[in-house]
Amino acid sequence: MIQLFHVSKYYDRRPALSDMTLQIEKGEFVLLMGPSGAGKTTLLKLLFCAERPDEGQILVQGRNVARIKTSQVPALRRTMGFVFQDFKLLPKKSVFDNVALPLLVQGVSSFDTRRKVAEALKAVGIDHKKESRPTMLSAGEQQRVCIARAIVNGPLMLLADEPTGNMDPELAGEIMELFKTINARGTTVVIATHNRQVVEQVNRRVVTLVQGKLASDEGAGR
Amino acid sequence: MRRLGYLLREALTNIRLNRTTTLVAVATTAFTLACFGVFLLLYLNLRGMVGSLQDDIKVIVYLQDNLTAQGVTALQHQIKAEPEVLSLTYLSKAQALADFHAQFPDESHLLEGLGENPLPASFVVTLVPKFRSSDAVQRWSDRLRSVPGVAQVQYSREWIENLAVVIGYLELAAVAVGTVLSAASVTIIANTIRLTVYARRDEIEIMRLIGATGAFIKTPYLLEGSVLGALGAGLALLLLKGGFELFIDQLGPTGRFLGIETGFRFFPAHISFLMVLAGLVLGFLGSFVSLFGFGKVRS
Ligand SMILES: Nc1ncnc2c1ncn2[C@@H]1O[C@H](COP(=O)(O)OP(=O)(O)OP(=O)(O)O)[C@@H](O)[C@H]1O
Ligand SMILES: [Mg+2]
Repeated sequence: MIQLFHVSKYYDRRPALSDMTLQIEKGEFVLLMGPSGAGKTTLLKLLFCAERPDEGQILVQGRNVARIKTSQVPALRRTMGFVFQDFKLLPKKSVFDNVALPLLVQGVSSFDTRRKVAEALKAVGIDHKKESRPTMLSAGEQQRVCIARAIVNGPLMLLADEPTGNMDPELAGEIMELFKTINARGTTVVIATHNRQVVEQVNRRVVTLVQGKLASDEGAGR
Repeated sequence: MRRLGYLLREALTNIRLNRTTTLVAVATTAFTLACFGVFLLLYLNLRGMVGSLQDDIKVIVYLQDNLTAQGVTALQHQIKAEPEVLSLTYLSKAQALADFHAQFPDESHLLEGLGENPLPASFVVTLVPKFRSSDAVQRWSDRLRSVPGVAQVQYSREWIENLAVVIGYLELAAVAVGTVLSAASVTIIANTIRLTVYARRDEIEIMRLIGATGAFIKTPYLLEGSVLGALGAGLALLLLKGGFELFIDQLGPTGRFLGIETGFRFFPAHISFLMVLAGLVLGFLGSFVSLFGFGKVRS
């Protein structure tokens, strides 16, 4: 599903990722660990085509995203869901409209949109807030809206950057259970986090980065 | 279908959210287009006038006094056969004198002392429309002068030539003014759209991240620019129409006093429509420039 071959990414000549080689199978659940500045977000951005690698090749769903044409990026993104660290919700639109956005962009009919959004909101447990504006929700609730938006069109893979960033352990646990459920339905899940507790609770494959390099790759499923 | 509705709604939301900038943009666009419209009105009206003057153009062919009646008939047939000639009427010496007396009763005595009628007989020639331009008239007259039996050829040349020159200059000015003002409109609208894009940059980024194509993201802004341009052109037309009515009102009594029937006309419907269309295109170009040109929105 995801393959990196000797990938390097530099910012101002300083490597954020260097010589990364990594393979993630379809249906896997992978935690990306590492101290701040280790390159976790950079790695996710490369998978999402938000950045291009300076060296190496990256295959996502069999497509070489290091060489992909800009015009083909939207189509690739539609097969992925992304949970952003800062949520990136539209503050002036309702929860429903926010979650419906990926479907709108793809031209899904309004009938199917209503059904799919309802399913996604139910899955994350905030279907009772669908008329609210994101600004009226708590951080945990906004995070769920963001997850709902990421899964609403049944993506092949789900990428999440610090999805439990500033949450109490209990809420973080709930969110992780949610990701496990999504993963159990066949979606490949990659989560960047530096929360040890989360890692222990989830008990899946853990890829650790240190200063842009692969430090360890261990855990369940290895 | 649903997407189209969304894109239109987004464009209208943009316009509503930036009411002040939108108003300023529409007003300035209207003003620039109105300036151009004044030129266009002047130009179209003058051209219309020249057209009718050219329709009136008559070439007068004076005949030599010693020409016999058969000579006159032969010459009449010869001239009539020319491809440039639409129709011609013969004016005998006697008729010419009668006309002179009728037209200038006070000056009749001028001719009396001469005893013999000094006025020559003539053909009054109306030309085929496509030979009524000043160049063609001159060429034909020059050729005719060398025909035996013809004494002189006359037509009201200066009038038409002067007007044609004025029209030529006006045409140049209209193109120059139009280009400058169009560029101004495009710039104004481009800046407005740039402001909208800037105000909504977070939203645009989110749209990109969830897989919206560049076209999908940009369409509302292209629509917005087009709407602004069309609105500006519409407003310009209203301004022009108002100004035009005022002008005619002012001119009306004076014009009648001078015995001139004011032939000024406002834009016909199809030109008005073209103006609005031009505004729309300029607006579209403005957004296009702001989206794809310098400082464009990335996709
Ligand atoms: N847009 C950028 N411009 C310049 N440097 C950048 C940029 N993005 C990341 N970096 C640098 O690249 C390195 C890796 O950053 P990255 O965001 O991938 O780390 P991270 O593992 O996600 O850290 P954190 O846990 O704090 O989110 C850091 O040294 C960072 O300063
Ligand atoms: Mg990060």
